[in-house]
Amino acid sequence: MDVSQYLEIFIDETNGHLQILSDCIMTLEKEPENMDVINEIFRAAHSLKGMAGTMGFKRMQRLTHDMENVFQEVRSGNMVVTSGLVDVLFQCLDAIEAYLDNVKESSDEGTDDNEAIIQELNEILADGTGNAKEEQKKPEPVEQKRESGEEKYPRKYLEIEFSEKAKEELKEAEKKGMHIYGITVFIQEDCLLKAARAFLVFKAVEDFGNIIVYNPSSQDIEDEKFGVDFSFYMVSNEDIHKILEVSQAVSEIEKVIGEKTTFGELTAAVEKREAAEAKAAAAKAEETKASEKTVAAKPQAAPAQTTQAAPAQTKKSTPGKPVTNRTVRVDIEKLDALMNQVSELIIAKNSLVSIGSNSDSGTGGANSQAFHEQIEYLERITTGLHESVMKVRMVPIESVVQKFPRMIRDLSKKLDKKMELHMTGEDTELDRTVVDQIGDPLQHLLRNSADHGLENAEIRKKRGKPETGTIHLNAFQEGNNVIIEVSDDGNGIDTENVKGKAIERGLITPEQAAALSQKEIIDFLFMPSFSMAKKISDISGRGVGLDVVKSNIEALGGDVEVKSILGEGSKFIVRLPLTLAIIQALMVEVRGEKYAISLGSIETIEEIQPKEIKYVQAKEVIHIRGMVIPLVRLDQLLDCEPDDKERESLTVIIVRKGDKFAGLIVDELDGQQEIVIKSLGKYINNSTKIISGATVLGDGEVALILDVNTLF
Amino acid sequence: MANNVSIADEGKKQFIVVKIGGEQYGIDISYVDNIVRMQSITRVPKVQPYFKGIINLRGEIVPVMSIRTKMDLEPDEITDVTRIIILKLEEHGVLGILVDEVKEVVTLGPDEIDKVSYDAKSNKNNFINGVGKNGEELISLFDTNSIIDETEAV
Repeated sequence: MDVSQYLEIFIDETNGHLQILSDCIMTLEKEPENMDVINEIFRAAHSLKGMAGTMGFKRMQRLTHDMENVFQEVRSGNMVVTSGLVDVLFQCLDAIEAYLDNVKESSDEGTDDNEAIIQELNEILADGTGNAKEEQKKPEPVEQKRESGEEKYPRKYLEIEFSEKAKEELKEAEKKGMHIYGITVFIQEDCLLKAARAFLVFKAVEDFGNIIVYNPSSQDIEDEKFGVDFSFYMVSNEDIHKILEVSQAVSEIEKVIGEKTTFGELTAAVEKREAAEAKAAAAKAEETKASEKTVAAKPQAAPAQTTQAAPAQTKKSTPGKPVTNRTVRVDIEKLDALMNQVSELIIAKNSLVSIGSNSDSGTGGANSQAFHEQIEYLERITTGLHESVMKVRMVPIESVVQKFPRMIRDLSKKLDKKMELHMTGEDTELDRTVVDQIGDPLQHLLRNSADHGLENAEIRKKRGKPETGTIHLNAFQEGNNVIIEVSDDGNGIDTENVKGKAIERGLITPEQAAALSQKEIIDFLFMPSFSMAKKISDISGRGVGLDVVKSNIEALGGDVEVKSILGEGSKFIVRLPLTLAIIQALMVEVRGEKYAISLGSIETIEEIQPKEIKYVQAKEVIHIRGMVIPLVRLDQLLDCEPDDKERESLTVIIVRKGDKFAGLIVDELDGQQEIVIKSLGKYINNSTKIISGATVLGDGEVALILDVNTLF
Repeated sequence: MANNVSIADEGKKQFIVVKIGGEQYGIDISYVDNIVRMQSITRVPKVQPYFKGIINLRGEIVPVMSIRTKMDLEPDEITDVTRIIILKLEEHGVLGILVDEVKEVVTLGPDEIDKVSYDAKSNKNNFINGVGKNGEELISLFDTNSIIDETEAV
């Protein structure tokens, strides 16, 4: 048998456990007395150890084992959690993560023993408890549990029936001097992959010997046709405790019980059971009484216990069964394929719509009425289908941001600044592909805030700010975009300083610098290799930060904006498109050319008189409902032929980005449509980014998609 | 079939002969995905001047380039025989090139192709990596990769 098929589960679960550990340790640092957290940590560490062990990752197992020891001491109150301990624990987590990365790449944990960390752990353990021989501590609690668990976990292995062949095998093995063990394994009721767990148990025990009989049959176990427990008899030269320990170490295994027996006892038991069954048929009531008496007695009283165990099993397996899998793992490529097909369907639907509207003028009547109704129906279905597929692809950004508190903590130590991270909107959902790629840019921004933004405690005190700096990470949805804001209450961006730097580097002349707006100055920060840090640290300052952030985010179809007030802090606003493939858009015409504008960014549409256009700083604006909105003539922006006719009224589309507005003057409106975004390809050098893509319309014509975010 | 075998045997290559301006050019057939009739090209603003725009090729968006503009020739004249050659390169995707006319397919052996010895810096000849002899006529052979690389570099 091969464990590689469980590797993915292992990686996933280890990730999960690591996250739990990380979160819990963070909490623990704040509330060192919180027993719930300590228990949670202990449980996660224990599972990690077990999983690493079964998969044969010995180094990982050793490290987690030592971690578990420490938690054990903490749990039993022999040790207090100190900041030093937390540091070491985080190092352990990093080391485990490194192992896991190795496993991901090569299916092997690597060769780093992390002796230093283990040493440190053990030292802390020795200091904390005054007991250097911590190693022996571990098995005890397991032992205790085993005894106390006896009643709850009936020895079901006693019920196994033996075929002639199995009997022969057992007899043979015993002759060779091997021990026969009966073992029953109980899996946690909420376990999702019982068959996999069973497999891991078998895999673990088969290192020590051979399994002779299974109950239920091995096929049934593989097919998950069992409740929460299964039993088997095996032969081995090894001590039973060892076997019990390795099988217990498999995660989500609730309990493993077992004992040594002999062939003679077994056959006797089987005979007795047969006899008992016959008796039971005759005198049920009596038998029950008798069995209850014998339960507490010797293991040889097997037959009696059988009857008692049987009802227990039915009771247990009934609630066990409905625990069905509520989630399905799907390869992202399959989802992409599904998405593509939905896109094609929408294009096909759009052409039907356009055929429908063209045939309007011709043959009328009931036929066309029915046709329209059907098309509307089809439209509803495709829109719904699209939404469902989108939702399937959406994941909360939580998976990305959850590692940030830990990062900020590390940074805080490294930079010797006090800081706190507050996050909101972790449940905001984004397309899976976006979420996968947003981690690095956000990390950059946070580091940036921590390193450049926040001042050290002394300066903060002088400025009358609280000593502890605060960084906020807020995520929320706004129309068709998701906004993620990273803000700090630090120094803000010193634009004079940036200007100086830009002049120094010969990017601009001092005269030019004087005329730049704050936004233009801040934009320098996003230029490649433009670093403001006075000294280069390993956190930031190499100048490969913000430009990478910007290009990464733009590659996802989003953008970054900065707001900063010197002395009060700065805010980086990352705007990402909710979907990558299909959007609702307003179709407009400019000199006969068709353009699509995402409905998400459109506020209102206004008809205005040319005379309403006013000028502010020689730029056209309109004054609507108390707002002064700059106008953009799309024909000029898009290098169209000049307009030949004098228009009496102008159609203005008011678009919005954050709290800024702009009015786009277009020739005509063509209505709303669901469009499929297609890339322009790599050849076209679309440096201005005004055109974010193209789409195929119902009649086969191509329309360009305007990214209005670039107009601001 | 016999023809194909002989091509492979003697290292011969097939070229599509097209007319651009007064000259004949050859395009390595292994890069050609398709030849389509002239259709409406959607202009894309703010891009390289030699890009005519994009077309819809069976649901795919394909950028179309004017090789004339790129080679500093006079602008394209669209006629009945104007065609768009769709080139396909594994990593780069598809690209259309406007040509005045598609003439024929020729098979040239190594001995029928002369390497060009022009000054490599001369812009127009940058895209040519050989001259083929087809009977009495000369065919300039396009270096398909340089057309594309040049495009990307801009």
